[in-house]
Amino acid sequence: MINIKNKTKSIPLIGVSKSILKIKELIHHVSDTCLNVLITGETGVGKEVVAQNLYTESARVSQNFVKINCAALPETLLESELYGYEKGAFTGAHRNRSGKFQMADKGVLFLDEIGDMPLALQSKMLHVLQSGEFSPLGSEQEFKTDVWVIAATNHNLEQSMAKKTFREDLFYRLNIIKIEIPPLRKRKEDIPPLIEYYLKIYRSEYPNNRVEKPNSDIVSKLVNYPWPGNVRQLQNCIKKQMIMQSWEKTFNDLPKENGQDSTIVGTDKNAMEIQELPDKKAVNSTTQIISEFVDLSTSSDKLFEDISLKKIKKMAADKVEKEVIFFVLEKVGWNRSRASKILKVSYKTLLYKISEFNIHPHIE
Amino acid sequence: MAELNRLLIVDDNQDILSTFYEFFNSMNYEVKTASDGFAAVKLLKDKPNFFDCLITDLVMPNISGVGLISIVKKEYPDMKIIAMTGYGDQPGALASEAEADCVLFKPIDLFKIENIVAQLLITKDNSNSKQTDD
Repeated sequence: MINIKNKTKSIPLIGVSKSILKIKELIHHVSDTCLNVLITGETGVGKEVVAQNLYTESARVSQNFVKINCAALPETLLESELYGYEKGAFTGAHRNRSGKFQMADKGVLFLDEIGDMPLALQSKMLHVLQSGEFSPLGSEQEFKTDVWVIAATNHNLEQSMAKKTFREDLFYRLNIIKIEIPPLRKRKEDIPPLIEYYLKIYRSEYPNNRVEKPNSDIVSKLVNYPWPGNVRQLQNCIKKQMIMQSWEKTFNDLPKENGQDSTIVGTDKNAMEIQELPDKKAVNSTTQIISEFVDLSTSSDKLFEDISLKKIKKMAADKVEKEVIFFVLEKVGWNRSRASKILKVSYKTLLYKISEFNIHPHIE
Repeated sequence: MAELNRLLIVDDNQDILSTFYEFFNSMNYEVKTASDGFAAVKLLKDKPNFFDCLITDLVMPNISGVGLISIVKKEYPDMKIIAMTGYGDQPGALASEAEADCVLFKPIDLFKIENIVAQLLITKDNSNSKQTDD
């Protein structure tokens, strides 16, 4: 709910889509300005990851990163958490307690779910942002504060302003830099590198679990799934796969809303999406193919080091050979001599390839 | 011949941007345009100390006009700044707080804004020549 991170190792912003690359560039340009930032996007898109990236790229990285979730606390508690209180301010206030604004001094205050902040607290927040001063509950004393405020919400604040549930003046004061993170379904090309990245992370976190890379068929299904819970849902799906040990089962367990079944390619919804995003789809299949042979989640330096046409050609050829050999062997009931004749290679070559590619009969 | 005054005009509305571009070009200014604050910041980094005056809209995606004004004030303090807004009082008040030299409300008379630009640039030249005299 509330936590302070000092010199945290931030999670990198993973993605190859235009929007993510632009966000990375924007972070780079504004991280030293200390101008108020408003991060918007659906739940699970990575708003906190963006906030942490702003913090780690800024000169404030040696100070605190303080996070508070404005939706998780009742109004009075949220107020005392933000501004602190003096001994005797209310029943139970036995001692002075400093608030998040004090803890975040010279650092970053991340106001998560700002769209859920009660109106009364919005006006107090506005006052603090205007004057840079606040006083703890029950105190006469004004404290000067130097915090970099980064706010985030999954609400459409323009709509909230129209409904009078969010103050217009506070909106404009926060909206100096606006970072809008699109949902995962609108940047499908980010899905393969995200899978790659989290597989690597979980592999090191849970070394006892066998982590299997999804095959291209599963990757394509995962890419075309709408991910209503965005990156967070994708993370959970990868974790679940480590327990279920089957990508197929894990994928089939994903909720398919409104009778939509993502396993069937070519439904109306999919067809519509493809029509809307013809170029994106092309990008998807390109990154998908590439991600099978190189790790796209690494930095570009490392990535360029890994890419070698000769190496990839060999890997791609091996992959196709393996599939073809397996296909023919299954067709002929693993009669290797017949298979070698069909494939027009020597019996010895076939045996060598079966052992090189580690091909086994399919067990039902 | 004296050098042309250089303007950077920033607005996310392409029609406004091209109208301003044509107009100031015809009034003998050298004009560059950007479609939001972020594009403007990149342009400024590419050409530091190139522009004499910034004319910017306030409500824009990525880096807002208020953000752009704050950055320009800090990084390029000699540049004159005119803010324009069509979104009521709030953004205009924030632009004044960020020390824009002038805040105008849309719709804006082009001749009026040219007049303001000319005056701001005269004061800029005066203070510059004073500095060199000292």
